[in-house]
Amino acid sequence: MRERADAVVIGGGIVGAACAYYLTVAGFDVHLVERDTPASGTSRACDGLILLWDKSTGAELALGLSSAQLWTELSQSLDLDFGYTRCGTILVAEDAQGLHAGQATAERLRREGVRAEVLDGQALRSLEPNVASDLAGGVLFSEDANIDPRRATLALLEAAQKQGLSLHLGCEVQAIRRQAGDDGRLSAVITQQGEIATEILVCAAGVWSSQVAGYAGITLPLQPRKGHILVTARAPGFIRHALLEGSYTATVQSGSADLGVALVAEATSEGNLLLGSSRQFVGFDRSVELDVLRSIAARALRFLPALATTPVIRSYAGLRPWSPDHLPLVGPFPEVPGFYLATGHEGAGIGLAPITGKLVASWISGAELPDVARAIRPDRFRTS
Amino acid sequence: MVATDLAVIGAGPAGLSAAVTAARAGAHVIVVDESPGPGGQYLRGGLRQSPSQYVSQSARRAQNLLEEMKFLHIDFRAETLAWALEGTGVALAGPSGSEWLEARTVVIAAGGREEVIPFPGWTLPGVMTLGGAQILAKTHGVVPGKRVLLAGSGPLLLATADELSRHGAQVLAVLEVTHPLAWLRHGMAAWGNWDRLREAWAYLVGLNKRGIPYRFGRTVSGVSGEEQVESATVVRLNKRGIPVPDSEERLAVDALCVGFGFVPNIELTQLAGCKHEYDSQKGGWVPEVDESMETSIRGLFAAGETAGIGGAVAAMLEGRVAGLAAVQRLGLVRSGIVNRTLADLRRSRQAAQRFGAMLSTLFQAGSRLDALTMDDTIVCRCEDVAAGQLRAAIRAGAHSLDALKNGTRAGQGPCQGRTCGPLIARLIARQTGSSLSTIKGFHVRPPLKPLPVGVLAQERHP
Repeated sequence: MRERADAVVIGGGIVGAACAYYLTVAGFDVHLVERDTPASGTSRACDGLILLWDKSTGAELALGLSSAQLWTELSQSLDLDFGYTRCGTILVAEDAQGLHAGQATAERLRREGVRAEVLDGQALRSLEPNVASDLAGGVLFSEDANIDPRRATLALLEAAQKQGLSLHLGCEVQAIRRQAGDDGRLSAVITQQGEIATEILVCAAGVWSSQVAGYAGITLPLQPRKGHILVTARAPGFIRHALLEGSYTATVQSGSADLGVALVAEATSEGNLLLGSSRQFVGFDRSVELDVLRSIAARALRFLPALATTPVIRSYAGLRPWSPDHLPLVGPFPEVPGFYLATGHEGAGIGLAPITGKLVASWISGAELPDVARAIRPDRFRTS
Repeated sequence: MVATDLAVIGAGPAGLSAAVTAARAGAHVIVVDESPGPGGQYLRGGLRQSPSQYVSQSARRAQNLLEEMKFLHIDFRAETLAWALEGTGVALAGPSGSEWLEARTVVIAAGGREEVIPFPGWTLPGVMTLGGAQILAKTHGVVPGKRVLLAGSGPLLLATADELSRHGAQVLAVLEVTHPLAWLRHGMAAWGNWDRLREAWAYLVGLNKRGIPYRFGRTVSGVSGEEQVESATVVRLNKRGIPVPDSEERLAVDALCVGFGFVPNIELTQLAGCKHEYDSQKGGWVPEVDESMETSIRGLFAAGETAGIGGAVAAMLEGRVAGLAAVQRLGLVRSGIVNRTLADLRRSRQAAQRFGAMLSTLFQAGSRLDALTMDDTIVCRCEDVAAGQLRAAIRAGAHSLDALKNGTRAGQGPCQGRTCGPLIARLIARQTGSSLSTIKGFHVRPPLKPLPVGVLAQERHP
């Protein structure tokens, strides 16, 4: 292979697919390089929730709001159906203290224009008859949605291919070449299938981005954070919204190395339940740990006791790209002209993929950028 | 938590043989099996009852193992699923819930399963595997229908025809895919396996007496019916095993039993993280084992069909090898004695293995019958994915099982791709012109089979 491209995207997960999609929409000739197959890393080992209430006010919520809007548009414009559903989520509270915290979250989000309805125990049970009878209540966010992340990745890639994207699967990047001279602009991406001449590279390789960035002499502050999920047999109607417990945000936002487990229960469009969630720092080990499965199952039973007899048919673990300030790393690196990064979303990569792709395309095309773009520039850590 | 010297997973001929061998040497052994009783598929329903029937030496030997297991007070856990492995620790789920079994050594003897070929109508009620029909007959005394047709390849066709007709079904015909010429070409490898040849001969004589035709070079290309199977189309195959155009004939049937040989059950060795290799003579992907049946993980052995399709005789020999090697690893016996016995066993295994390899070569019909799978034929039964969807995804560049799983949902249902995995691998191989040895199976992760959330929540291991 010896090719020439306007831009090369590295990584065929949901973020890489979104970058490729918005770049082709902007008229660029794009090549995407994926070492395995589409959605073969973190994008196939996650839940599919597009959440707003877990975002902090400021840049994070601004990104979330724009991206949720983009997902709604994509669900109408992309040809391949990826199961977009306005499922709504309920932040469930075990006790009065939890409900109090939920009320505060509801008020904060209402101020940002997000619909939020506080439920007492009885109202919660009338919406979700299968929850434990002693729960204090919850907050309903009726605008939250969910998708099938794998099919969404394929849908974005398919649409991008129709606009001229060249997809190279089973193709691992081996080196990045830079021009001789002062500014060291990128000149080519060397893959195991050959060379692609390009002046622009988008690194969207998730937790494996550090390796790719290393080829350009850039050090990233990313850490792989492992999350497990259980998949049950189809149980249509068992839950009518996605259910998450309030401590989910606390678990996500802490940088603690210890295992954190908090309830996430989501129904896929086929009716299978995805049960999560766990967070732990254990390096690049993607194997499923039995202790974690047990903790997730036990936590799910605390909130949904009637799940006891529902069969679990599979489990998986994925590595989320954790960033130190809980904001993604999206944008250019001035030290290496032509190198753009799109990663660091941790567990929010599915929800934030479209806005990430759109911002990357805006950076590269020189289009006007919203303020939030500056808050998530990767060089804010000054590690390179 | 329970601790033991040796955990044996699977109580068929290989597992029983390993358990008894190790227990004789003084090891504490726990045997687990998903069935209500030990014996595996091979001894399901006990030895044949009718005095006119031929009972093979290997069946008697397996029966003796069952009796010896009781005599040695081996701890047998019925209806128990081994659903995860970590090193030589095993997560169990049985009638009393979840339990962690801390074993010093493990023998995985999880058997094999029948290969099927998707043809139009194969998901209709009334179509079942040969093994499924045998379970019905042996365990419940029920036959799948009044007018039954059998199609496929290999010795199980004969045994099933015999079983069903003795239970009162009218067996219309037994259709064997292969041609007699192929038998002549490969048959010499059967030399020395007189017990097995006598068994096959006894079945053939029995069929002949009952007037059941045994026809070579034919198979079923499709079935139809409203709610269940009403008729089957029989097609002639040329010498290369390819359907001959315009050779179809229709038969009115109310049941069809099919089986095209076996594939090893390797999900447990995959879960354990053992290295695997592709060997078409052993039925596909198998765990790599050394001369002692030890896998790439120390203390973890594989025996019987799990280690490669070879039949009950080879399975029992492999079980003995694994059982002996395990007690040697445990330090319960002196190495000199073990090594001499192991050498003897390996020699007798060779004839049995040759026979297994011959059967695999002779009856490897699958790849040639792919033409029977139409675009609207369902391949993944759990998620209703048709061959056409898979073929389109393969054309679009999805060349691995996991890639197809992402795009089509194939393999995402309750059986986790156990049935459709090998079928999809063949679709990929045929369409891309690549060898099956380059196509890896689906990822396997715990739980091995569906397990209630409540049971999973109890699991505790050290």
